Amino acid sequence: MQREKEFIGIIKANEGLIYKVTKIYSLSKEDGQDLYQEIVYQLWKSFSSFRNESKISTWIYRISLNTSIAHLNKEKRKGNQVPIDQLPLNITDISDTVMDERSEVLFNLIKKLNNIEKGIILLYLEGKTHAEIASITGFTTTNVGTRLGRIKQKIISQIN
Amino acid sequence: MELEEMKTLWEELSIEIEKQKKLTDSLVIKMTRADYRNKISKILIPEAIGALACLAEIIFILINFQKLNTAYLLVCGIISAFILFLMPLLSIKAIRKIRSINILNNNYKESLQEYSKGKIQFVFIQKLSFYLGSILILVILPVMGQLIGGIDFFKETRLWIWYATGFPFFYLFAKWVFKSYIKTTAEAENILKELMD
Repeated sequence: MQREKEFIGIIKANEGLIYKVTKIYSLSKEDGQDLYQEIVYQLWKSFSSFRNESKISTWIYRISLNTSIAHLNKEKRKGNQVPIDQLPLNITDISDTVMDERSEVLFNLIKKLNNIEKGIILLYLEGKTHAEIASITGFTTTNVGTRLGRIKQKIISQIN
Repeated sequence: MELEEMKTLWEELSIEIEKQKKLTDSLVIKMTRADYRNKISKILIPEAIGALACLAEIIFILINFQKLNTAYLLVCGIISAFILFLMPLLSIKAIRKIRSINILNNNYKESLQEYSKGKIQFVFIQKLSFYLGSILILVILPVMGQLIGGIDFFKETRLWIWYATGFPFFYLFAKWVFKSYIKTTAEAENILKELMD
């Protein structure tokens, strides 16, 4: 019970983070809701093995990104889900009210990147250092820097 | 938009999202209880039904094997049974591949590698199943004609002509079907190549 309370607290504190991940990796609002649920479910499943050896945010990023990649394989999976109207994923409505034109442009630019780049740019925008990005993604710190350089070029060419 | 500009905009957006938090305790609990194993079973049920149907057909062919009284019908019977045995196995292999990403222990790079390799293998299995399914239609028709109706399609109908004239259409159809597969495989291969940089 105590563990459950602790978990709820963590999820509530990081709901925005999960929302941003789902926004980048989902194809539609419904898909985003499905992915959001799956991330929370996977976080819950791994919560018992989480031993505070890494920062909570690092653990959440890792599980969320892995779940998002696994979710790409499950486009056709449809099963029992919490009905949409009961979901926090009314949270996706945030996007409708908050997103101004610039935010939509931002998400569209990120969505056009490939899956390697999406993960790296997300962590960069979240203010992670190259070393932190490296530890979450498994790339070397130098490689993260090189890739960010390429992403920058790609974004500039997308705009032009 | 430069990366720094994107970062500033992202920060503004994050602040807005933080202000609009909506999760409640009960919603979090509901999400942790969402039974995703049901999702798996929803995929497995049609697969299991398909596998049972294949098994029933294999048994039917084997029980009546002596009725296949010509060399070509025997060959068709053996090929049919073999494909009927192989197709459910391939299907299960494809599903297992879909579920292969180790979400709890992988890092992002490892997940992307597993995803891309899985995608390539999945496409390969789909292509193979398409060809096997097509061959099955060709070989099972005369077998069932003989076993159920006692008719040798090769002697009593113009089955060969249908096969011969149908082949070019099948070839074009297969080419069209595989167009998207080629793109998917190429994308996955590019990701794998890029991951090795």
